[in-house]
Amino acid sequence: MTDLSLSPTQLDRYSRHVIMDEVGPDGQANLLDASVCCVGAGGLGSPVLAYLAAAGVGRVGIVDDDTVERSNLQRQVVHGDADVGRPKVDSAAEFVTGLNPDVTVDRHELRLDADTVTDLVADYDLVVDGSDNFPTRYVVNDACVIDGTPFVHGAIYRFEGQATTYLPGGPCYRCVFPEAPEPGTVPDCATTGVLGVLPGVVGGIMATEAVKHFVPVGDPLDDRMLVYDAADMTTDEVPVAKNPDCPVCGDQPTVRSLDDVSYSGTCAVE
Amino acid sequence: MQVTVDVKGETTHEVDLPKPTYADVLRAVDLSPHEVSVLVDGRPVPEDQPVESSEVTVLRLIKGG
Repeated sequence: MTDLSLSPTQLDRYSRHVIMDEVGPDGQANLLDASVCCVGAGGLGSPVLAYLAAAGVGRVGIVDDDTVERSNLQRQVVHGDADVGRPKVDSAAEFVTGLNPDVTVDRHELRLDADTVTDLVADYDLVVDGSDNFPTRYVVNDACVIDGTPFVHGAIYRFEGQATTYLPGGPCYRCVFPEAPEPGTVPDCATTGVLGVLPGVVGGIMATEAVKHFVPVGDPLDDRMLVYDAADMTTDEVPVAKNPDCPVCGDQPTVRSLDDVSYSGTCAVE
Repeated sequence: MQVTVDVKGETTHEVDLPKPTYADVLRAVDLSPHEVSVLVDGRPVPEDQPVESSEVTVLRLIKGG
């Protein structure tokens, strides 16, 4: 069970991973060598960051341009009451380093757009998207597909959550949702409310996908979307097929650069 | 035409409409094409096309994070 690449402290911290045949010292070393960009430090980003930090993912980027509001604290568990008014990247980064000093944290206090996303995505092994708006979801999808960076998607609505994983060569978010809805036609959590514990479950699934990817172990959600209903306490799966007409990952992609898309309105590819 | 509409995370509906489009089916279950994607065999279908499958899957576009 000993491995020279893990220090005695790390062997202790990660002992419950190291003793697992499916993870072991090699899997843990993979996690310590990994880098993940977490887009959003809100409801989904909170459990994602907490569990990636606890798992010992070596470098974590936190992207968010928002500040902590008291109404966030019902579900965004990496922020505390004293953080109200502070940038989310700061309180989230403090949570991560407080939990695990093995983790290097990069703070990115910005909103991802076509100008900022490409370099950011290229700097990480995997992206976890817990954003709360469609322009960010589409720009993350398109940038990751073009760059060949895997990403984990999650979203929440009242009692319902969705999660899926993109791996290069497989179906992407646009294969399922070719374009975003017209602005204002889909309600947000501030309008409809959201069960506070819901992002804990969905974000936990997203973190699970990320950890599995690096170990590596298990079957990813790369050709299916998991749908979770907290009210009925049921899960369902939707098979997701690669769309040959997808403008980003299809047989003859028309989007080869983010300059080809306007990330406003429906984020449609004309 | 009888169509089974499986709104994932919610309810499964049975609708019976004459020569419906996918948009007609969505309207019958009180959903707007703006807020969902209709999938047949794992791929989205245009809402203005006539329904050719007796079973469709509907996924909400959700943005909360």
